[in-house]
Amino acid sequence: METLDIPVLSLALTLLLLIIPLFISLKYRLKLIGSLFTSTARMIVQLALIGLFLKYLFVWNDPFVNAGWLTVMIVVAVFSAVRSSSIKVSKIFLPAFASFSFATFFVVFFMNIFVIPLKNVFDARYLIVLGGMLLGNSLRGNIVGISTFYMQLRTDSNHYLYVLSLGASRQEALLPYLRDSVQLALKPTLASMATMGIVTLPGMMTGVILGGADPDVAIKYQILIMVAILVSTITSVVLTILLTMRVCIDKYGILRTDVFRNARQKQRKVS
Amino acid sequence: MAVIEFRNTHLSFNGKSVIRNLSLNIDKGDKVVVSGKSGSGKSSLLSLVLGFIQPDSGQVLFDNIPVDERSVWDVRKRVACIDQDVSLGTGTVHGLLAFVSSLKANSHHSFVPDKLMALLELEDDLLHKDIKDLSGGERQRMAIVIAVLLGRDVFFLDEVTASLDKHLKKKVAGYFTGREDWTCVIVSHDPVWLDNSVVRVFDFEEKVWKH
Repeated sequence: METLDIPVLSLALTLLLLIIPLFISLKYRLKLIGSLFTSTARMIVQLALIGLFLKYLFVWNDPFVNAGWLTVMIVVAVFSAVRSSSIKVSKIFLPAFASFSFATFFVVFFMNIFVIPLKNVFDARYLIVLGGMLLGNSLRGNIVGISTFYMQLRTDSNHYLYVLSLGASRQEALLPYLRDSVQLALKPTLASMATMGIVTLPGMMTGVILGGADPDVAIKYQILIMVAILVSTITSVVLTILLTMRVCIDKYGILRTDVFRNARQKQRKVS
Repeated sequence: MAVIEFRNTHLSFNGKSVIRNLSLNIDKGDKVVVSGKSGSGKSSLLSLVLGFIQPDSGQVLFDNIPVDERSVWDVRKRVACIDQDVSLGTGTVHGLLAFVSSLKANSHHSFVPDKLMALLELEDDLLHKDIKDLSGGERQRMAIVIAVLLGRDVFFLDEVTASLDKHLKKKVAGYFTGREDWTCVIVSHDPVWLDNSVVRVFDFEEKVWKH
């Protein structure tokens, strides 16, 4: 079963469908036209470039280049996760990078070594495609996780200090915030796992089936990828919070204000 | 023997000095009312001892040991603190009590709030209420109950009587000043504390003892 290639001209026809969002946006003045065009353009350019790049990557299939490219992907993912929080990128980039790298490489290698019978565990097809899938999800989880953790700690500082004054250890005082943020970060992953197959026929599976594989194989890969996503997401979220805590919370157990991007000066209660 | 000591302590916020060259001894059993205009930085005295902020220069000592990043964790186990805008968190009052007693530092105490709640005229069914449904006065009294249940003998009371009525103010002030072995540092404008002969008043702005 060969996948039917789509002629470029026909693909252009897909873009004709964009008339619909265009029309809706005009009618209801959604002010989305600008971002509709830039997002579509960016997607096309980025995918075209990556398609070209992947072609060479797959042909070349050099372990170092593959691992190197995955590292580049991790850097970009970490950067966007950290940037969406209110913490300065320079302060927590390294700890976040360490946790993303560990979570991604650990899970991908586990799959490539023990689960998928690969001759070359650095095979681009698996390393980069699986890695990318995990990273995309870790990224989403971490955006929620880091932001929630530090935002809650900051807005809830009165209560946090109260708990410290009760004699709580660092771990005891921070645990409720860690718990909340990890739960929130994992919610989408768990929800999509629970409705898998019924509501969602996920991208991975669609891709594998369109790519000519048997639905049986597609389902096996889907199970594998969902477990991998869950494991790498929770690992990276928890590790990122634990490792960034060392930078963002001082030895007195107090959240440092200078790590925030809109750092207010030492501003604590003076009455 | 001094329980709390400030030695030439200097503290500033945003370049504005809040505490200048403060030297102050608070001995065991002392009941000290810190008086001064609001906004003058009285509460920062308590924050300094609890290590929530650090002095720019000088020292803060607790039991003759400088408060630093290591000793501060023990200080927080020795002091019970009630703040005017204490935030008890979310969930039920019962849940809060369970959390407080689950902390390692407090695990050797039994947390039976009944008597204290009765003394402060809080109904039993309050335990099952949500913290956010309590009135300001109820929240304040609940914070007092918890602080006393911690079984500690150094108290930081920051405007604790602010949202109580006259008769309860008197009760609370009498309760804390009546215990000889308790050391109390009281930040308050309330004259109810001053009726008592055991209380010493420290003028925070002039940095002198008034009586």
